[in-house]
Amino acid sequence: MLDIFKKIAAAQGVTGNENDTAGVIAELMSQYTDDISIDNLGNLIAVKKGTGEAPQRIMLCAHMDEIGFMVTYIEKNGFLRIAPIGGIDYCSIAYTRVRSERGVRGIVAPEAKVKAADFRADNFFIDIGAKSEKEAARRVKIGDTFRFDSDIVKLMGTRVYGHPIDDRIGCAVMVDIARRLDKVELKDDIYYVFSVQEEVGLRGSKTAAYAIEPDIALAFDVTGTGDVPGDTPMACEIGGGAAIKIKDSSVICDPTLVDELISVAKENKIKHQLEVLLYGGTDTASMQMSRAGSRAGALSVPARYIHSANEMIDMSDAEACAALAAEFIKGQSK
Amino acid sequence: MTKQEKLELLRELCLEFGPTGAEERVRELICKKLGDVECKTDRLGNLIVRVPNEGAPKMMISAHMDEVGFIINEITDDGYIKFANLGGIDPRVLCGKHVTVEGKNGLIPGVIASKAIHHQSREEEKKLTPIKNMYIDIGARDKADAEGMTELANTATFDSEFVIFGENGDFIKSKALDDRLGCAVMIDVLKRLGENNYFDLYFCFTVREEIGISGARTVAQTIDPDLSIVLESTAVADLPDVPEPRRVAKLGDGGAISLRDNSTVYDREFVRAALDIAEKNGIAAQIKKYVSGGNDAGSIHKSVDGVRCLAISVPSRYIHSPASVISVSDYLSISDLVLAIIENYKE
Repeated sequence: MLDIFKKIAAAQGVTGNENDTAGVIAELMSQYTDDISIDNLGNLIAVKKGTGEAPQRIMLCAHMDEIGFMVTYIEKNGFLRIAPIGGIDYCSIAYTRVRSERGVRGIVAPEAKVKAADFRADNFFIDIGAKSEKEAARRVKIGDTFRFDSDIVKLMGTRVYGHPIDDRIGCAVMVDIARRLDKVELKDDIYYVFSVQEEVGLRGSKTAAYAIEPDIALAFDVTGTGDVPGDTPMACEIGGGAAIKIKDSSVICDPTLVDELISVAKENKIKHQLEVLLYGGTDTASMQMSRAGSRAGALSVPARYIHSANEMIDMSDAEACAALAAEFIKGQSK
Repeated sequence: MTKQEKLELLRELCLEFGPTGAEERVRELICKKLGDVECKTDRLGNLIVRVPNEGAPKMMISAHMDEVGFIINEITDDGYIKFANLGGIDPRVLCGKHVTVEGKNGLIPGVIASKAIHHQSREEEKKLTPIKNMYIDIGARDKADAEGMTELANTATFDSEFVIFGENGDFIKSKALDDRLGCAVMIDVLKRLGENNYFDLYFCFTVREEIGISGARTVAQTIDPDLSIVLESTAVADLPDVPEPRRVAKLGDGGAISLRDNSTVYDREFVRAALDIAEKNGIAAQIKKYVSGGNDAGSIHKSVDGVRCLAISVPSRYIHSPASVISVSDYLSISDLVLAIIENYKE
């Protein structure tokens, strides 16, 4: 799965500009599904039709977009003023390398003398090494997006770090689920949705869920952990297995669905843990509340340093998420 | 319409009374201005004019009828009116301002009371008076008198003049340019539209944008458009003490096209196409720099199974005050641009 994950993570996809990522994923998914389309907002929807007479609709969803920056203004001396896209913590991204959608490299930095406590969008800029506004304007246009210039790199054992792990790892998990279900006969329709604009308020999954009207919805995303020095207590760690979400600040998952996922994990001896995330929301919420509502849940890959240029996960957790989801769907869809 | 007629239309629309939730007068005026066009009003009060092309892609064009204002929540024993704001208003622009209040029999004048500087303590002089401590004086002797003139839940808005100013008459100052200007543009475009349009067009004059963007939400959900153009007013700060990167847009450089704001990431293809069409047709347009505000697009793009959105805003100084300032040429060029997009854009 690591190779596929690296390929998906390499594509750019700052919120609102997810086309490249969609292209890469569409190519990976085409061998496993019957139909692939892109909707009005840019969500990539791949469908595997079931053989049943009255199939349920099962929607799986991971978001393609990553946090980043948008250029709002070019200064006379060639510095770029930027707006954040998604939840940017300026303390954790100061002096990080960034790269634009056109391939221009640079560093995101605070104005001189601004104290860390005062860091905010207005006092940050990107330096691309341009001498003047004119020189900068040849390579950068207002509205261009910049992403972290960061690869996915293997560390010890099965641990990896880099950006964007949130949420290309969810996309990779979904491709792996499709692979695992490839030759399996299922009665239900499976909708693989790779959503847009999650980082600015769960927007893509909202309209996709409206169109699909799922019976069961499962999101695949990262979750916080409580396993680094000084952390808030949270019973979730990287390497601890697939995290079955019970709640986050946007959603309380369907309790019967949570129970089913736990028993499928136990039956198949898949390493798992339970997730109660105190902050952060996921596409789970928008799918749950679409139209008359769906039974919604999520499987998360625990991650450290989320929304920094070096998020860290354990690939074994991603494998566990894919295995658990595949077994769950097989059980539902026999 | 001649330029003179367009300015007159804008003047009438801006001066009409229509704070959030009380848009009836504006709606009636717009119907009157549209003449014998078929207008439909939905349950929330949105006004919808369809120029049909059955089976074609649906394009929704919207501007909101409501303006920022006030709602009466208490009448004091002395006969003063206490109020809450409708929409985001800086309390600093309120003291001593003329207002128009919904009375029991039509509109009545009022003034937002302020303690004269002679009667303020040193502390009061330094402090910002919050809206909950302000009063409107409607010329009532006491509570019974005031209750004869108006009642709770009635609304009020700024009472100011519509003035064309500057040496060549290049600028306008008025209340409610946000978003009666968008309404005026839609009326102008409707009158200029040719026959055989590529799109199935819906012109939507929406209600309640200033609080929660609720009107546009229900309209979009009902129409289920493929594309939408939102006509708005954007706060700009091209002021002496504001550094260039935070000035947002420049008066006179044409409609400001948003890339993203606090409610929406706009459709990139649609934005590029709009900028291209502006350039090819020699119509002034600019990109809105700096991320701020939000508008009807925030509801529209998330409706049904998703709508591709574009927002074109008139750059506007001192927005949400008794006198915002805009450029006459921006008003005229936005109208040209909307028409050019309808005529030239193909999905």
